[in-house]
Amino acid sequence: MNHNPQAWGRPRDDVYGAYNSQYLPQHHGGPSAHPTTHTQSPIVTGTSVIAIKYSTGVVIAADNLASYGSLARFTDVKRLKPFNRKAVVGFGGDVSDMQYLDRLLSSLDVQENYSHNNDDPEDTKALMSAKNLHTYLAKVMYKRRSDFNPLWNSLLICGLDEKNKPFLATADLLGTTYSAPTLATGFGAHLAQPLLRKAVPDEEASQKLDKETAVEVVRECMKVLFYRDARSMNEYSIAVVDEKGVELKEKEKLENQSWAFADQIRGYGTQTV
Amino acid sequence: MFIARSEYDRGINTFSPEGRLFQVEYSLEAIKLGSTAIGVTTASGTVLGVEKRITSSLLETSSVEKVVEIDQHIGCAMSGLQADARSMIEHARVTSQSHAFNYNEPIKVESCTQAICDLALRFGESASGEEEESIMSRPFGVALLIAGYDEDGPSLYHAEPSGTFYRYDAKAIGSGSEGAQAELQSSYHKSLTLPEAEDLVLKTLKQVMEEKLDANNVQLASVTKEKGFRVYGDEEMKGCVGRIENE
Amino acid sequence: MAALSSYSMPTEQPAFSFQNQPQSHASGGPTQHSFYPYTDNGGSTLGISGSSFTIIAGDTRMTSGYNILTRYAPKLFRIGGEGPEHAGAKIVLSVVGFAADGQALQERLDMVVKMYRYQHGKDMSVHACAQRLSHILYNKRFFPYYVQAILGGIDEEGVGALYSYDPVGSYEREQCRAAGAAASLIMPFLDNQVNLKNQYEPDAPQGLEKPQLQPQPLDRQTVEELVRDAFTSAVERHIEVGDGLQMMVITKDGIEELYSPLKQD
Repeated sequence: MNHNPQAWGRPRDDVYGAYNSQYLPQHHGGPSAHPTTHTQSPIVTGTSVIAIKYSTGVVIAADNLASYGSLARFTDVKRLKPFNRKAVVGFGGDVSDMQYLDRLLSSLDVQENYSHNNDDPEDTKALMSAKNLHTYLAKVMYKRRSDFNPLWNSLLICGLDEKNKPFLATADLLGTTYSAPTLATGFGAHLAQPLLRKAVPDEEASQKLDKETAVEVVRECMKVLFYRDARSMNEYSIAVVDEKGVELKEKEKLENQSWAFADQIRGYGTQTV
Repeated sequence: MFIARSEYDRGINTFSPEGRLFQVEYSLEAIKLGSTAIGVTTASGTVLGVEKRITSSLLETSSVEKVVEIDQHIGCAMSGLQADARSMIEHARVTSQSHAFNYNEPIKVESCTQAICDLALRFGESASGEEEESIMSRPFGVALLIAGYDEDGPSLYHAEPSGTFYRYDAKAIGSGSEGAQAELQSSYHKSLTLPEAEDLVLKTLKQVMEEKLDANNVQLASVTKEKGFRVYGDEEMKGCVGRIENE
Repeated sequence: MAALSSYSMPTEQPAFSFQNQPQSHASGGPTQHSFYPYTDNGGSTLGISGSSFTIIAGDTRMTSGYNILTRYAPKLFRIGGEGPEHAGAKIVLSVVGFAADGQALQERLDMVVKMYRYQHGKDMSVHACAQRLSHILYNKRFFPYYVQAILGGIDEEGVGALYSYDPVGSYEREQCRAAGAAASLIMPFLDNQVNLKNQYEPDAPQGLEKPQLQPQPLDRQTVEELVRDAFTSAVERHIEVGDGLQMMVITKDGIEELYSPLKQD
């Protein structure tokens, strides 16, 4: 790969010759320009986000790594974004699209704060709930995919709904949405989701789960993800959203790691024994 | 009504200090110059009747079209500037067809009337510069009697240039409307049959017309469940006119 | 989610954007992405109409490849009625295929039906709704809603009505229809059990002239049992079907919703 971002994702001139833009109409920049292109693949990426609902709230976590391909490029990227005291969004996928969405949410939050009087921390009625936020983000994602200009992310939106019940749902680059008592994006869908589902098989179980157990399960999942996901790191953010608000920790370290299992692994690369 | 006339009667969509839109009020006056049109509803259908003003003996009377079809089950009689009515009826026809296309069912008469009235207030100075096309520079100078038959039975609506519409059992519009409406008021009753309604329409027209009523200078039409909207042919007109003359 | 978990990372190899999608990993070459706006979320739906009711059913599993995204994602939607709860609604839409398109389609049709009530002062009939749905799908034929839709309700004579659609709006009124992942498993069962295909008078002599059994209108309990049997069988043989069975029974009195669990394996 070369280091000119303009060339990324395009047919290489040295293989195919320069792009013939003769046919392009004037409003596309005329015959000297290139056709309109959109994101065709993510560049700097964040890996899994995982979340679980418990009796009175939601726990969500994501590590602090932004990868550039296989390069661990940025090691202090915060991928959990609190929206207000009722909602947190976790971002997987392209980091620049995450930053765009973060700016979008900031301006949305400013509008929300102008249109309601949110000075009273007890009054959460006028506050945009996680459910509202999820609907909004889902429409943004679906609109962008329908324009063939997707935001290359999968999002977990968690917090409280308008009745202050725990809420957890997702939206991805295609605009697909769904909710479940436990959710995980990316590699987490394979590695963490089975562990989360073991702790919380259904809605009923999540209503019985206490906060401490929920946090413990999530921390354990982050550890497993670090063991097996090559695009992960050992520092992560974890947020708990409940009626008391958002409790966000952004510099958590994985504890009590045991790499004993790795010793047994054979068969990768040149290792033949 | 002309006492308060002032510079406010020129701005097409400027309220006068008393809260009136003079141009709209004047457009209602235009209708009073138009030929008389009458509609009468019965349990089995609605009858429309219009006066054709035969201004010359050389005029081909069949070319005076003041009762027209909107859809199979809706028809309309007009009074006022006929040319304005064309664009309203065009709109109503398109709306009716589009409803049938989209929903595979005939449009309701009220919905059709509403569609026509939606058009009525789309006039004004700002019109030309804005993105909306085919907008009028003045209010329509025509009133319509819209007759139809839908799932709620037969009905008759009166639509005005002001964009308001009302449903009537019997209604007269145009130059002879005051006298005709008084006649309808006294003669109308709910149990009229369709032929009786035809007679009532013709008798009322006869009273208010300046010329002597004959089979050529009036036109009847009806909407029934069985036959839908139908403009009466020459023979049928002669029969109806003959019937009231024999009484 | 599958798209995310299978990121190709930038490599030294030439990476060209104008490639056909989707690609398989088995080809051995480097995996590349160009954006493909659809995915298949699995699941199956089924509708049967009777003389005074229509039943529409769907499983509640949502998948992406081999992953179960969630065990409860309804594919059945009330259309029309009042407010977000659709109070008084008498039309049900089921969509299976690409879930995001299904959701968008459902929201559009619901808006159309609610606007119709404001504009015309009456509830939309199923056959009007059926025609409108066809147009909505057809209008987007160059970038289709990637769904198989089934619309159910009660017609103006009080008889159960069922309409099935392809993604670009071709539609037909039918007695029964299965759609989605397990359609090919369920539909033959329905042909046999509802339309009595390949069933003959038991006591008639063998031969070409052997009379076929004539389909009779089914009662509600029989239909409910057929639906349950269809889904429990489909769950056994199709990995994208399972978790829960959602059923909506539409009668002249409104919509009754039933839920029963299915196997989660």
